[in-house]
Amino acid sequence: MTIVPARSSEWVRPVRSQEPASAIIEIDLVSQVFQTSARKDHVALSEISLTIEEGAFVSILGPSGCGKSTLLYIVGGFVSPTSGSAKIKGHAITGPGPDRGPVFQEFALFPWKTVLGNVMYGPRQQGVRAAEAEAQSRALIEMVGLKGYESFYPKELSGGMKQRVALARTLAYHPEVLLMDEPFGALDAHTRTRLQNDLLNIWERDRKTVLFVTHSVDEAVFLSDKVVMMSKSPGRIREVIDIDLPRPRRRNELLLDPRYQKYVVDIERMFDESDEVGSAS
Amino acid sequence: MMSSATLLRRAAPVLACIGLLAVWQVASLALKNDSLPTATEAIRAIPDILGDKESLINILASLRRMAIGFGVAVLVSIPLGLLMGRSRGVAAFFNPLLMVIYPVPKAALMPIIMLWLGVGDVTKTLVIFLGVSLPVIYHSFEGAKAVEEKMLWSGAAMGLSPAQRLVRIVLPAALPEILTGCRTGLVLALITMITSEMIARQSGAGNILFNALDMGQYDTVFAMIIIVGAMGICLDAIFERVRARLVRWSEPQFDMPLSFS
Repeated sequence: MTIVPARSSEWVRPVRSQEPASAIIEIDLVSQVFQTSARKDHVALSEISLTIEEGAFVSILGPSGCGKSTLLYIVGGFVSPTSGSAKIKGHAITGPGPDRGPVFQEFALFPWKTVLGNVMYGPRQQGVRAAEAEAQSRALIEMVGLKGYESFYPKELSGGMKQRVALARTLAYHPEVLLMDEPFGALDAHTRTRLQNDLLNIWERDRKTVLFVTHSVDEAVFLSDKVVMMSKSPGRIREVIDIDLPRPRRRNELLLDPRYQKYVVDIERMFDESDEVGSAS
Repeated sequence: MMSSATLLRRAAPVLACIGLLAVWQVASLALKNDSLPTATEAIRAIPDILGDKESLINILASLRRMAIGFGVAVLVSIPLGLLMGRSRGVAAFFNPLLMVIYPVPKAALMPIIMLWLGVGDVTKTLVIFLGVSLPVIYHSFEGAKAVEEKMLWSGAAMGLSPAQRLVRIVLPAALPEILTGCRTGLVLALITMITSEMIARQSGAGNILFNALDMGQYDTVFAMIIIVGAMGICLDAIFERVRARLVRWSEPQFDMPLSFS
């Protein structure tokens, strides 16, 4: 199977590695092969190489089954790659650590803990004194818009609220990189938009490095500095696109901006092309 | 103020008991059979049993064996079940063993155990222990297996070691399921307590029951059945209170999410 290179356009251009060396995450020739049955192997990721700069908001965009979540799990240290290496700040990733904070589509909150208990969990584990951890956590809960819900249990919250708690819980232990695995994928469109706006507001304050997995083109363009487009079977990087849009980004302004619209249209067209390539082979 | 619906719901168990006793009374009067005393005769025999020092000592000895058997079984079975649920190796080792023991009625093992350990407390407590262990192991195993991977990953990212994750994430997350197993275990503890005393006739509540049966004191037999049944109801009610407190966070009354994103 050959992959037809996308046409470079005015706004969509592949990025070469000419950036200064402030790389926080380096992924080098990572492959992931799952054994689906005794004779058949499924190649989820094939020789992925990617460098992520400190403070960048990078989205990994691709159809379902392209291995984009697997790539995130490898960076998180939750999954070991079959071959290749991933590094954070020059150190090989051998397992999970508090320098990389995951936020999952499934929220994965601790249901036996209250909102406050969930958010305090990380800092307490890191040895922060209870009073201090509580003060920080209350501030974070307020920041994600859940003031007044500190003593609620996850079961009492809606999906959007749960994801806000999950974000606060991860921010609470100050990871250097946020790993977001389709965090808004399980939410309705309205809630999703609100959370995207709030995430941008929070991110624009401290510019933490974010690796954000999504299958939504709008979401990727709206949030990111850089969009990594993947194709499936086997999972490969198809294109890396710089999103050159001003910040802070406001949704109502951006939706009317022709540059934003062009990014979305160009990326969607590339998806269609890769679908055709996929079905022709 | 209680509404009539609530009142009816509260009164339902009492009404059920009264109904059962009424049917019993009528059936017994109709059949005129010595081995089926009337409900009133059986109830009248209860104070005699509970007032008798000898019987009371026997019943308390039974409860003590049951408490020890149940307690030790829970303490051993929960960690084992959790480990099996999270480690394929541990599960592969213990699963066949448990599958062999599971269908065997624990009372059927008693004659052999009696040969080894005698007819005393140790044998009976061991049988109770065996009866309680299996459902608790099974439910702990299932509960631990069902713990969401991503929840464990979240804990790992916060720096929890595998042992800490087992105690601080798997255990609380599996607690509702574990307690379901413990509740089954509690009822089984009561059943094995009586059957063990039925086989090793030396002391205990079961012994009173079967001695009375041998002597044709049918009112005592039925009085003991009522006492054992009441013990079961009380223990279950106490356990349910404790359970509801421990897993309040997973109770369905919290199942109504607020409409706010």
